[in-house]
Amino acid sequence: MLRLEEISKRYIRPDGVRVALDGVSLELERGQIMGIFGPSGSGKTTLLRIAAGLRKPDGGIVTYNGERLDRMTAGERTRFRRREIACVWASHPQQERLDVADHVAMPLLVDRCGRRSAERRVCEALLACEAEQCIGMELRELSAGEHQRVAIARALVTEPRLLLADGPASNLSIVEQERIMMLLSELARKAGVAVLVADSDAEALLRADPILYLRDGKLVDSEPMSERGKVYQFPSTESRRAAADA
Amino acid sequence: MRGGWVSAKHALLGLLIHRPAYRYQLGERLEERLGPAWGINSGQLYQTIKRLRADGLIECIGGTEDQDERHVFAITESGVREFDRWFAESSGGARLLRRPLLVKIALAGPDRLKDALVQIDAYERDCAALLKNLSHMRDEIPETPEVGSRVRADHVFLRLGLSADIRHLDGELKWAEDAHEMVSWLLTEDAIWPSEHGRSGASKEARDRQNARDELFGRIAARQRRLGSGEERRDRDG
Repeated sequence: MLRLEEISKRYIRPDGVRVALDGVSLELERGQIMGIFGPSGSGKTTLLRIAAGLRKPDGGIVTYNGERLDRMTAGERTRFRRREIACVWASHPQQERLDVADHVAMPLLVDRCGRRSAERRVCEALLACEAEQCIGMELRELSAGEHQRVAIARALVTEPRLLLADGPASNLSIVEQERIMMLLSELARKAGVAVLVADSDAEALLRADPILYLRDGKLVDSEPMSERGKVYQFPSTESRRAAADA
Repeated sequence: MRGGWVSAKHALLGLLIHRPAYRYQLGERLEERLGPAWGINSGQLYQTIKRLRADGLIECIGGTEDQDERHVFAITESGVREFDRWFAESSGGARLLRRPLLVKIALAGPDRLKDALVQIDAYERDCAALLKNLSHMRDEIPETPEVGSRVRADHVFLRLGLSADIRHLDGELKWAEDAHEMVSWLLTEDAIWPSEHGRSGASKEARDRQNARDELFGRIAARQRRLGSGEERRDRDG
C-alpha cells in the first residue's frame, strides 16, 4: 500500500548540513501496524512527514497504491492526503480555546460535510476513542491522554486508509498508553487501516509488528528486537491474535 | 542486596590473581571493588575458600594450620587457568526476569487484586529506599581524582557497579509505579477476566464504546473495500 524506497532528506542548517534520512526503505500493507522506534532526532518525524506527503524527499520514491506521491504537485498531494491519510502529531494544537467537538469536526467541515452528519460522526468517533466525556470541553481542559484520544478521533472521522502517528503514546501513563495502542491495533485489525506509528518509547510500540529501528536517519536493522533472539522478542501479530481469540 | 548471577568463586580468583590476601581482606575487597551487592558473610566466604582450596585453584602460602585467620591465600597455576577460561567465556546476553510480584498480580484474580496492590506499594517503597541508599553511596565516591591528576580505576569500577544497581532499581521503581497504575485501573474498570475467574461481561459504557468502535471501523473497512476495488478496476482498465 505505502512504499518508501531509498528515501533521503537533508536539512540545511546554519552550522551545516544535517542528514535527517539516509536511504530508508519500507513497505506497509493494509491492516498492518508498523512501528518506527528510534531516539529523538533519529528522523522519525521527517519520515512520517514524507510518508504523509507533507514534505518532498531529496531522493527516493514514495508510492501509495502505485501512485507516485513524490511526483505530485502540492495541490494534488493535499487533495490526495485529505482523501487517504490521517495524521496524529505529537504536539498539541495551539487553539487551546477551541471546542473539542469543533476541533474533531474540522476535517469534515473542510470537506463540506453537513453540520448534522458531522456532529453524528464526531460523537461516534469520540465514543469509539473513549473520549466521549470530552464533548463540551475546550482543548485546553484536556489531560494529555484525552488530548491524544481526541487527536485520534479527529484522524478517524475522515475514515482514512493510512494513519500516521508520531509518538501517540509519548509522555503518557502506562494505562493511557495501553488504551491508545489497543485502539490503534484494533483499527488496523478490524478496519484494515495501515498504521505507521513512530515513538522513542519502545513500550509504546509493543503492539506494532514489525518494529523498525531508526538511528541517525538510517534503518539500522529491520527487526533489531527479535534479532536478539528470545531475549526481547516482540510477539508476532499471529501469536497475539491467537492469544486474543483464545 | 545480595545475589547475582556470578558465583563468588571467580570474583575471589580475580582478586587473588593480582596479589595474595588474608581471608578477611578478600571479604572486604569484594565489596569495596564490586559494590554493596557483593557483601558476603564470613560463613559463605569460608565455604567458598574451602572449595577453591579443595579444587586446587588456590593455596595457602602463609600462617599455620591451626591459626586459620592468619592464612594467606594465593592463586595457583590451575586457578589462573580457570580464571582465564571463565574470563574468555561469554558473559551471557540480556535476559528477562521472572518477577514473583508479577506472578502474584497476574494470577491474583479479581478477589485478590486489592492485596496485590498492597504488595506493589510495599515493593515501590522498598525500591525507593534502596535507591536512596545507593545514591548516597555513589555520592560518597570522590569524583575528583585523588592521586595527583590521575584517575583511580577502582573508583571508576565501583561507580560503574553502583550505576548498574541504581539504573536497575530506577527501572524497578518505574515498573512498580506502572503496576500500581495498571492494577488501580483494573480495579475501577469493569474488566473482562479470563474464564477461570468465572466473571465476564462489560459495563454499559464499555459496550457503547465498543459498538461505536465496531460501527466506525466497519464503515472504514467498507470504504477501504470500495476504494480498493475502484483502484483494481482502474489498474485493470489502465
